[in-house]
Amino acid sequence: MTKTNMEKKMGQGVGFERIRRITGYLVGTMDKWNDAKRAEESDRVKHGLGKNA
Amino acid sequence: MIVSVIKRDGRTVPYDGVKIIRAIEKALAATGEGGFDEAARLTASVQGALDAAGNESPNIEAIQDEVERQLMNRGFNDTAKAYILYRANRTRAREATSTLMKTIDEITNVDARTSNMKRDNANIDGNTAMGSMLQIGAAGAKAYNELYLLRPEHAKAYREGDIHIHDFDFYSLTTTCCQIDIIKLFHGGFSTGHGYLREPQSIQSYAALAAIAIQANQNDQHGGQSIPNFDYGMAEGIVKSYHKNFSRRLAELLEDRYELDDQLQALKALVAEVEEETGEKLRIENSETFNVKLQAKIMEQYHLTTEEAKRHLTKCRDRAYKSTERDTYQAMEGFVHNLNTMHSRAGAQTPFSSINYGTDTSAEGRMAIENILKALDAGLGHGETCIFPIHIFKVKEGVNYNPEDPNYDLFRLSCKVSAKRLFPNYTFLDAPYNLQYYVKGRPETEVATMGCRTRVMGNAYDPSRQIAYSRGNLSFTSINLPRLAIESNHDEKVFYEKLQGMLELTAQQLLDRFEIQASKHVYNFPFLMGQGVWLDSDNLTNADSVREVLKHGTLSIGFIGLAETLTALYGQHHGQSEEMQKKGLEIISFMRKFCDNKSQAMKMNFTLLATPAEGLSGRFIRQDQKRYGKIPGVTDREYYTNSFHIPVWFPIAAYEKIRLEGPYHALCNAGHISYVELDGDTAKNVEAFETVVRWMHDCGIGYGSINHPVDRDPICGYVGVIGDVCPRCGRHEGEMIDPAHIEELHKMYPEMPVFQGIE
Repeated sequence: MTKTNMEKKMGQGVGFERIRRITGYLVGTMDKWNDAKRAEESDRVKHGLGKNA
Repeated sequence: MIVSVIKRDGRTVPYDGVKIIRAIEKALAATGEGGFDEAARLTASVQGALDAAGNESPNIEAIQDEVERQLMNRGFNDTAKAYILYRANRTRAREATSTLMKTIDEITNVDARTSNMKRDNANIDGNTAMGSMLQIGAAGAKAYNELYLLRPEHAKAYREGDIHIHDFDFYSLTTTCCQIDIIKLFHGGFSTGHGYLREPQSIQSYAALAAIAIQANQNDQHGGQSIPNFDYGMAEGIVKSYHKNFSRRLAELLEDRYELDDQLQALKALVAEVEEETGEKLRIENSETFNVKLQAKIMEQYHLTTEEAKRHLTKCRDRAYKSTERDTYQAMEGFVHNLNTMHSRAGAQTPFSSINYGTDTSAEGRMAIENILKALDAGLGHGETCIFPIHIFKVKEGVNYNPEDPNYDLFRLSCKVSAKRLFPNYTFLDAPYNLQYYVKGRPETEVATMGCRTRVMGNAYDPSRQIAYSRGNLSFTSINLPRLAIESNHDEKVFYEKLQGMLELTAQQLLDRFEIQASKHVYNFPFLMGQGVWLDSDNLTNADSVREVLKHGTLSIGFIGLAETLTALYGQHHGQSEEMQKKGLEIISFMRKFCDNKSQAMKMNFTLLATPAEGLSGRFIRQDQKRYGKIPGVTDREYYTNSFHIPVWFPIAAYEKIRLEGPYHALCNAGHISYVELDGDTAKNVEAFETVVRWMHDCGIGYGSINHPVDRDPICGYVGVIGDVCPRCGRHEGEMIDPAHIEELHKMYPEMPVFQGIE
């Protein structure tokens, strides 16, 4: 790869990987999740470690 | 006059009255109501009626309608009924075929990213050739199974979404999953059907063969594969590797020091003598008697002083330990890499795999645990988090739970790794429903988990075999609980009546499926049964039926959406009030009691499952939205809440969620899991992480894990939480970055992967 090419392409169009757990298994990207599971993932709220939510 | 007939596909063909005669003749013959003469007379009437209507080119349906009418008018009642049923069946078959063709068309032509159907199972890439072929096969099998293998009432319940028959494509073919006892499998070697593998002789071969065993067995079943005794199994390989390393080191040392010829064979014989005399194998830690004997023999054979012999042995033991540890790490690393890259099932899937460990306190077992955790921590080649296998750490008081326990350090290490890599998950042997089976010194009585959450322990078929090893689930079917609640219209009594009916229907369907499974033979499962992986299958020969041994497995009734069920019945879910928690436990206890009663009555293992529900999470609710519209808190989302979970969107403290979900674990004996979602920073705090695991232990959770975001930037290799901007290299998603900056980062983070670019 030439230098100019390299400069242009370093990271361009490359997304972040986001690993999540789906029914016990981990899944590398959410591209392969079905619609319902995607909706569920986006609804998930964090659980605090205090006494209250 | 009828001249022609319009066929179903739209073509027009010349009219042929003989065809009608033949069809009617067949129907009459079936009921015994007549023969050719009656058929001819009836056909004449059909023709007359159609002529009278003045239609010269009727379609097939119109002719068949007229046949029905004439049969009824002329008193051929049974034949009319049979003919109507036959038509309905033909119509169903035609529709199934046309739906099947549409499905195959979608699998063939639509991008998986835009086809929800093709993403039903996230472990299959629907865009690849093998993935598509698998999906086409599944679609064909499902159409056939529904039409030919299900009772009409079961087909209706399945089609309309009262129940969900899991892995329906495999309905007539095999069973779900198995806990593979690798110690038993490896002793004496085994065959994969394509070649015989000798008993492995080093930790590297133990690890490689463990991966092969998982792969081979996955091809005989439709679910996941698990190793319940990963640490105990690998420990045997480590003993062998240590033995080799020790003999080799000692031989080299003596050869170099005293200018001797090859001493390896002589030393092996010497060690074997000591082993024979003491009844103890050479391993990392040996008894005093063993060490004294070994030292004496070395002194005698090589004319050494006590001091010399002692020094040489200590040095060799130390070196052998270090080499074995390196070997073990490499073996564990290879194992994890294998399981993430090998494909099975026509190349479309990575095997669903689980490994259980944590309780082997021998030096070798501890080495296995430590190094598999380290390999998990390191990730794959570019630091990626490993998707497979699922790691399950078995927590047990007196073994690894308390600071004074021998494996407590490994429990701590597991928390550190899980806080970074999401695995291991935790299974709790001290929960009363697990502890009742536990016998110290017998690892097969330790609960192990496989796949999503499956658990097998109790055994109503053979109460003397209440163990985890060599058993698994046969099949499972889930009930649409929220629908039963909606249809009960807030009436608790009606709900329980409906639930009882649905449990009966589901149990019958599971038994029907068992009959199909039980009609198979050992040769249908060349690895699972042929190699004696399944309990008692080693007593069978190739042509034997598997009926009796299959009864060690479980038939599980699952459910989804307890939260929505409670909301539909009472207006609130179990996260909202203690009263609802009580109601929730009543419903699930009712279901468990049904399973227990059925188990006792049938002497088979009916168990209650907190269903994993990947494809199912959206299927029931889509059907229910069509029926009932969007009921607030019940059908107003895209998914039903998993099993007995508190809804994912409901704000609740981690401790509270765990406390509320714990009691359901005791009831769902076929499998269960609870999660809490921590934010990335909390998860990095190992103390906090451990506190959550300990709280799970105290609340009677059987199997739990802690979710936290694990993101990775493939450009700079950062692993952790990434919002919009990568904290290490500062780029946005999809943005390019100055290579000079990458160079700088490389200096700061030497372990950073070199990104190859996208050509």
